[in-house]
Formats: sequence, structure tokens, C-alpha cells
Amino acid sequence: MRKRTLTMLILAAVVAFAIPATAQQFFDFNGQTVVPTMVGGALSMNAVIFDAPPATTPIVLDFANFEYTLVISGLTLDVDGTTQNYSGGMIALYEDAATAADFANGATFVDGAALLSGVVTDLSRTMFTPTIGTVLGHVDWTGGTRLSDIAPEDQGGWPLVSGVNASMFQVEPGYDEKWDGKVEPEEPIVGNEYFGFGELKTNFR
Amino acid sequence: MHLTRKTSIFVACAAMVVFAVPAFAQAPAIDYVGYSWETGGFPPSVAGDELVCLGVTSNLDPIFGVDLGVDELTFHLYGLISTGEVPLGGGMVMVTYTGGMMDVWRDGAQNADWGLNPPNPTAPASFVDGTLFFRGAFNDFTVFMLGDGSGSFEGTLNGLGGEVLGDLCTDCAYTWGGTYTQLSAQVPDGYDMQMDGELLIEGSVAEDVQTWSGVKALFR
Repeated sequence: MRKRTLTMLILAAVVAFAIPATAQQFFDFNGQTVVPTMVGGALSMNAVIFDAPPATTPIVLDFANFEYTLVISGLTLDVDGTTQNYSGGMIALYEDAATAADFANGATFVDGAALLSGVVTDLSRTMFTPTIGTVLGHVDWTGGTRLSDIAPEDQGGWPLVSGVNASMFQVEPGYDEKWDGKVEPEEPIVGNEYFGFGELKTNFR
Repeated sequence: MHLTRKTSIFVACAAMVVFAVPAFAQAPAIDYVGYSWETGGFPPSVAGDELVCLGVTSNLDPIFGVDLGVDELTFHLYGLISTGEVPLGGGMVMVTYTGGMMDVWRDGAQNADWGLNPPNPTAPASFVDGTLFFRGAFNDFTVFMLGDGSGSFEGTLNGLGGEVLGDLCTDCAYTWGGTYTQLSAQVPDGYDMQMDGELLIEGSVAEDVQTWSGVKALFR
């Protein structure tokens, strides 16, 4: 391979595979949740997404001009107990500049453009005390106007982690719990990633 | 009813105490995300280990008067000493901590950076610069963990200082809590856990001075 061609390939590799040294990416949400009282019932959540620098969002969002909401619906309670297991829910991330999210009006969370939509494949909710608990689930993104911002191999299996606060001081009327958590990729979504040429070559062996 | 001046003053003072009005209808909150490490690593938490957490604020109640577009609010928890893990059954463990302080700093530098393998040149340094917004001492702090690496934490504090104490309320009850997770989270190298939760001001009922006319109006 000629030296000039080799140099071009190295530069192309550096440009194409650049990755920040450290970068935390997630959708940080704070929401209100309705929890079912029996197996077969459905859990739902209305939440607002906040900017949390120096962490960034997995896809670029314009917090200065839009409000972003995260909505879970139809998550079915399969197993009840101290630890509850759920499956089969829908999740969507909306962008809207017209109406402010209002927990008293669920419609204000589902207006605007659905940037991402998908399924909550599984979710467990464990209560340690009557008011403190934790949630761990997984999300597969399958649709939305910005789905193509995420490479197909990065669209599935995003952890959803949240704290549960059932304190009467924190729950809005009509809801059962406050959830404060995040949806995040397993590792940062990147447009570029740095590789040494030797490392790059090993990918093709 | 006719009251002497002395009696009126006494009743007015009593009313100020008895009818102290909660300052907030719902508990004001500061929402944060952060990362923590424990000397010796976590899990497991070994008795004597110190827990340290560094966090940034992503949202807060307008009553605090901070514009996050201008200033960042950063958290530094330190001096929380583990008493060791206690199994609760079902794969759950509980860790209680003694001591501990929490400082919240406000600054316009917007320079918070967790970096890697703390302590490092930016952590905690970039989380403890600016103006002291709040300082509290933990009364208690407890972590609950599941075997899968997810969990929660909760603690209560006494406010000791910082600019918010004089402006917002005194003798308030501060609660610090949220989710505590290791599994699948993007935890920077050298940190053990990811924290996401809120600092709440609950039961902020210290005092709300009312005029005598205001007190009387409550009974009309």
C-alpha cells in the first residue's frame, strides 16, 4: 500500500471513529407513576426530561427551545410482591414547544413530535420500605422521527433505572409514586470513535 | 371581645407559634445525578469504608432562585462511614453509615467534571468551587442494595450553613434520597455507583410571621 494511501486511511479512521475520552449519556427523567394494585393491571408514567451537564443526552436535544417528556404506558404487572415484575409496555420520548407539561393533564405529556418510541421489554420494581424503592428495566427503541440517529446495533437493551419515592410530599394527585431516574445506552452513542490503525486493521482480520 | 394591649400582644405571639404556616405546599426539590466511590470499593461495603459522592443538579424548584443556565449547583458528600452490610433476605442488603456531610456549591464556571479514578485533578475540585449554597450534616444515611446491582438510598440532614438557609427556611428537614445502581450504568472508571435522586425540604414549617390581622382573617 502506498504511503499516501495509508495516510489517507489513517486520517479517515481517526475522523470516522472519534470518541470522547469520557462522556456520560442518558435521558434524565423525573416523573409521576400510576402503579397497578393487582396482577394484570397496567403501570404508566408521565415524566419530564432534564438536561444534566456535563452529561449529555444520547441524541442531541434542544432544551433551550423545547420541552421533552417521557411516557410509559401499558406496562403489565406479571408478578406481584416486594419485587414486582412487569412486561409489555410502550415508551415514547416527545418534543414539544407548545404546552408545558402538567401532571394534572396527561395530554400535555404526549403532544408534539415523538422523537423516539419503543417497548419496555422488562421491568422490576422493588420496595425496600413503604416509601423507598428501586426500578430496573430495559428499553428497545423501535420508532420515532429520530430513531435513525442511533445505529441499529445500539437501539436495543437500554437500561431504565429509577428511584421510587412514595412519600406523600412528593406524589402528585392522581398518581402513586414519584420516579426519578434515567434511560441510558449501555455505552455512549457516538458519531465518531478513535482507533489506532493497528486496532482498525484487526477489525478486518 | 375586648383585650388589653398586653393580652393582645401575648395572643399575637402565641398565634405566631401555634399557627406557623407551612412555607411550601409541596416539598421543594433539587434533582441531581452523580457518581460515588467508597474506599475499598463497593459492593461490598466494609465497616470503616468512607463513601464519597459528587453530583450535578439537573433541575430544581424555582423557589431556590438558581438559573442552571447561568450557575451550576454541584454536590459533594463526604465523611459517610460504613458500618458494614446487613443481609435482609431475598438477596437484599442494607448498609447504614455514620457521620457525613453534604456541601452544595453554586458557581458560574460550569466546570464540573467527574474524570476518572477519583480523587483526581477535577474531582472533587470542580465540584467544590464557587459559593457555598448549602451545608448539612447527616443524621442518618442508609443504602439498600439488591443482588443485581441496583438499589436505593435515603438520608436526613440538619442544615448548618450556606446561602440558601437564610433565604429559604430555618429548622427545615432535609432528605437526600434516590436510586443507587451499578448494573449496566455508565459509571466512569474508578467510581463504584451511579446516584440519581433529590434533595428535598420536607416539613419546612419553622415559622411564617403573620400580622394579627392576618391571624384573625384565618378564623373569619
